[in-house]
Amino acid sequence: MAEAEVRCVDFWCNEFGMRVRIALREKNVEFEFVEEDLRVRQRSELVLRMNPVYRSIPILIHRGRPICESMNIVEYVDEVWSQPGGTRLLPADPLERAHARFWANFVDQKVFDAQHRFFMGRNEAKETAKAELVGHLKRLEEVLGDKAFFGGDEFGLLDVALVPFSSMFYGYEKHGGVDMEVECPVLARWVRRCHERESVRSVLPTGVNMYEIHKFFYGIE
Amino acid sequence: MAQPQEVKLISAFGSPFGHRAEVALKLKGVPYELILEDLENKSELVFTHNPVHNMVPILLHGNQAVCESLVIVEYIDEAFDGPPLLPVDPYDRAMARFWAHFMEHRWLKPFWLSLWTNDEVQKGFIEETKENLALLEARLNGNRFFGGETIGYLDIVACMLAHWYDVLEEVTGVSLVSDNDYPALRRWAREYTSNEVVKQCLPDRDLLVAFFTKRKEKYIMFANALLSQ
Repeated sequence: MAEAEVRCVDFWCNEFGMRVRIALREKNVEFEFVEEDLRVRQRSELVLRMNPVYRSIPILIHRGRPICESMNIVEYVDEVWSQPGGTRLLPADPLERAHARFWANFVDQKVFDAQHRFFMGRNEAKETAKAELVGHLKRLEEVLGDKAFFGGDEFGLLDVALVPFSSMFYGYEKHGGVDMEVECPVLARWVRRCHERESVRSVLPTGVNMYEIHKFFYGIE
Repeated sequence: MAQPQEVKLISAFGSPFGHRAEVALKLKGVPYELILEDLENKSELVFTHNPVHNMVPILLHGNQAVCESLVIVEYIDEAFDGPPLLPVDPYDRAMARFWAHFMEHRWLKPFWLSLWTNDEVQKGFIEETKENLALLEARLNGNRFFGGETIGYLDIVACMLAHWYDVLEEVTGVSLVSDNDYPALRRWAREYTSNEVVKQCLPDRDLLVAFFTKRKEKYIMFANALLSQ
């Protein structure tokens, strides 16, 4: 049987992989979801072959060629599957593109890092990470302002970059008492707005499922 | 006809990140004003225009600020006419961005820490740096530049492998590579630093040696603090 033209190697609870799958669905790209079980320590032969540098997922395989790193993949998807009048994730204006990329970077460097330390840490380290995490999210809330999406009227790159993290909000509350409805009400409303989109609804796991599997990964009782 | 907006680049002496932005501007033929900050005594410009990270470089285009060197280089490529810095083909672009990400997130920290640490810990970072160099050597694949025949995005991003690399080896006495290692990278470094446009944006070598030498103790202290976190 011929290999699918577009394959996405990922695991259901991977926030970075969700970005790719949301982007593919936004662009109506048919793809094969190739599961890489992250609960298994050893990476598969496919991952080692397609991403020898990082040995991580997500990986997009397009006509047999791999593209790695989630935001890189999202930009690739946006460029390759672009039609006049079709959905575009990156705006046309260079300055808006720069701002979207800057804040997507911020999500990777600051939000993910703080989230990771929040779940890894205990006692003081956990409290420090929690405060940082909430601070970063509040900052992003300011960037959103009164727009419908980070992209303005349209769902865009930064929305794709951040929305997967919303599936961890339930976990933030269970793990550390962070109520996002209280801390970041504007962001919480944005999450609900994103969930009106089929791409987001079909990709994001429930908060309960995300928390359960992250408890496993982080060794939390 | 509307006046083209003024371009200013806020950078700092010796910053390879600032260099990336400057080379991009020059390659596109964009006139700009260079403002050098003293990173030990930053001005209001930095805090105002980069409130998130308080770092340089910052590109000011009119009254709009763009921060983060990789974001700035892509912005320069897209906002101004001139020869493209990134490849045109989407797959090649994705490859260029992937290796730029590699430089920032895999290459930088072990390289920096291999210079300022000691003993077993340093050996580990040196090993990692050598592995990364091997990957980059393979990436060059016999080409003159990462961009092929001409300097492109990834060459600009990888600038630290040229110029700064042997300055830092000289300052620290740390020898990461011996004379026969990584011939393609060595050739690339010579090509990059002798390019007419790049030369205009490289900090003076002797001044750079003095700059790092003066800050040696501080870098050693920061490296050890980073490790103990």
